Amino acid sequence: MPTLFAHGIEAGLPSGFEGRIFKRQGSGVEVANAVAQFSTFALPDDVGDFGGGAVTSMGNDDIFAVLFEYGPDSVGTRLFAHQGLPRTLNVDDFKPYVLRRGLTGQSGTQWFFTESGRPFTLYAVLGSHARRSILVPRINRLLAGLTVEPAAVGTPAGAPWN
Amino acid sequence: MIALTVVLGVVVALVTVLVAGLLRSHADILKALHDLGAGVGDPVGDTTASSTPGPSAGPQSVPLTMGPALAADRDSTSAPTLAGVTPTGDALAVAPARGGALTLLAFLSTGCASCAGFWESFRRPEQLDLPVGTRLVVVTKGPEREIPGEVAALAAPGLSVLMSSDAWTDYEVPGSPFFVLVDGTSGRRVGEGVANQFRQVAELVRRAEVDAAAFTLGTRPGRDVGIDGPARESANDRELLDAGIRPGDPSLYPTSLDDLYGPPDARMPAAPHPMRRAG
Repeated sequence: MPTLFAHGIEAGLPSGFEGRIFKRQGSGVEVANAVAQFSTFALPDDVGDFGGGAVTSMGNDDIFAVLFEYGPDSVGTRLFAHQGLPRTLNVDDFKPYVLRRGLTGQSGTQWFFTESGRPFTLYAVLGSHARRSILVPRINRLLAGLTVEPAAVGTPAGAPWN
Repeated sequence: MIALTVVLGVVVALVTVLVAGLLRSHADILKALHDLGAGVGDPVGDTTASSTPGPSAGPQSVPLTMGPALAADRDSTSAPTLAGVTPTGDALAVAPARGGALTLLAFLSTGCASCAGFWESFRRPEQLDLPVGTRLVVVTKGPEREIPGEVAALAAPGLSVLMSSDAWTDYEVPGSPFFVLVDGTSGRRVGEGVANQFRQVAELVRRAEVDAAAFTLGTRPGRDVGIDGPARESANDRELLDAGIRPGDPSLYPTSLDDLYGPPDARMPAAPHPMRRAG
């Protein structure tokens, strides 16, 4: 199983997945945090953090998922009160209207939480809502292989929202 | 005369012992080679004589390899996922056997003179003349064999560069430069080899695309969604600027749910689940 590790995030990729873990260049007062993207299709080089430029290329059997870290100022806020990365999603968690960009046939889910003292959102998109019973178990296998290390001491505070 | 005879006898005896020792040593070497399956003669004929079961019974096959695998011995069809790091320290994994598109893997190094032309060619992607939709990924050896700073200096902005020595092993790359073309529809390698100039590679990719199209009823359907990607992001930025919202605007950094949805009495009840979902 290929394994990715960068910026305190480790991901064991199930068969058929590719991914990247990166930080964008910060600009001005904005401090870039870690972004981990995973897909079962070829991720474009210039894909947006939440799949802009990529979700339109998804086929019916494709999956896109992103683990997006927020600034440390968000730790302890109500939005990120839940502790722990969701490891098991249900088919009912995916809704056609929970999409950053509504595309016919797709569905998505988004969760805010704190893992290892770091605030994240998990956003996942299915290429076909009708095939969610097949696709959701594949996402769960991906989630089972994710590990987040605690934030390094001395991490500069950034904007709580990106 | 007697003394000379005695001396001669002693010398003959020593030579005899020496020759016997050499013959014994030679026999031991031959026996060891035979046990390893590399003995002289017909090992099949000897197996009957040493067919007794046990760990030391019979000759054992020991694969002996020197240098890169021969063409006939290479696994030239599988296209495993490549995983490694980028020159900037990010992590990257590419699954070329998925997605339906062609992926061209360019195995390059920073030190080889013949690779320099390819690094330079990749700085002009508009002149590469690859078929539309073909993904280009440069693969160097890992940070333990290549200096990330040197790779970053050679890599053009926006070029996908993966540093992974395991990828070189998985694809049995004999040396650099080396190119592998993977068809995401069939999930296997459809071409590989070396080239002196990138236009030679591009021509091979175009031929492979034509061949693949001849046996494919259709490609992955794209969705007609108007502007997308960076163009969509730029359009959003323009809309925000037109509305007077500039970088750092407080409205971009809400500190509470009230900032997002207004006072509690003006918004819908929150979901009972401990995790809040948002679109």
